[in-house]
Amino acid sequence: MNCQDCSEKLDRYVDRELNDTEVLELQLHLEGCPHCEDHYEFQAHLKRLVRHSCDCDTAPPAFREKLRQILS
Amino acid sequence: MAESPARTAFAEEALTHLDTLYRGALRLTRDPDQAQDLVQEAYLRALRYQHSYQQGTNMKAWLFAIMRNLFWDRFKGSRKEDVSLDDVGEFVLYDKLRDEGAKPEEDVLNKLAASEVVEAVEKLPPLHREVVLLVDVEGFSYKDAAQTLGVPIGTVMSRLHRARQQLQKSLYDYAVESGIVHTGGMKQVPQQ
Repeated sequence: MNCQDCSEKLDRYVDRELNDTEVLELQLHLEGCPHCEDHYEFQAHLKRLVRHSCDCDTAPPAFREKLRQILS
Repeated sequence: MAESPARTAFAEEALTHLDTLYRGALRLTRDPDQAQDLVQEAYLRALRYQHSYQQGTNMKAWLFAIMRNLFWDRFKGSRKEDVSLDDVGEFVLYDKLRDEGAKPEEDVLNKLAASEVVEAVEKLPPLHREVVLLVDVEGFSYKDAAQTLGVPIGTVMSRLHRARQQLQKSLYDYAVESGIVHTGGMKQVPQQ
């Protein structure tokens, strides 16, 4: 695997959508390529940042209770 | 009239996914009141059509699909509008920041405020925003996201890729505007 192949598969690696063989190939490349390894760490960090920034909103308790009453 | 145990059990299980639906509705409508209206309508519709839900399948995905379909029907009027995404080309934030002389993680990602990230997500066109919400925020697999959105997996992947490009461009623009980075090299900030 070269850096171009790695770059093309990085989204799916970060999203855990590669098969076992592809994961092994990509991990082997990352172990020997600091640039791609840093790029991967950055992409994974960015994904975590998006999740943590957006998942802190929860339904207001009063709304939850209102729904519970409507649905029961 | 007393409700049936089956209906009560269904409602209870459905309500365990309320936060996911509320977050999704909030990001799609960008308005707490509209989000509550949308979610309430989605739950009422889910209850009405609970016979079409197959036990053992992904209820969260099923509920989210009902909610986002209502969003497109009621809040947008047409699925054809507001779906375009400016072509930012292959914008790779990591490479861009390296070119600017920044340490991408330490100098930039660690300094971005959550509110700015949320704003960047909300600036995405809804068709792209909802893919980011499902895959990045709620952790859906591509397959579940495709099923929820009623599109092929390839469409999920292409929308996600373009959404991330746009998201990275927005975050870069914010980093430049706020002085975290500036074109031509990193801003020198005195150590405290």
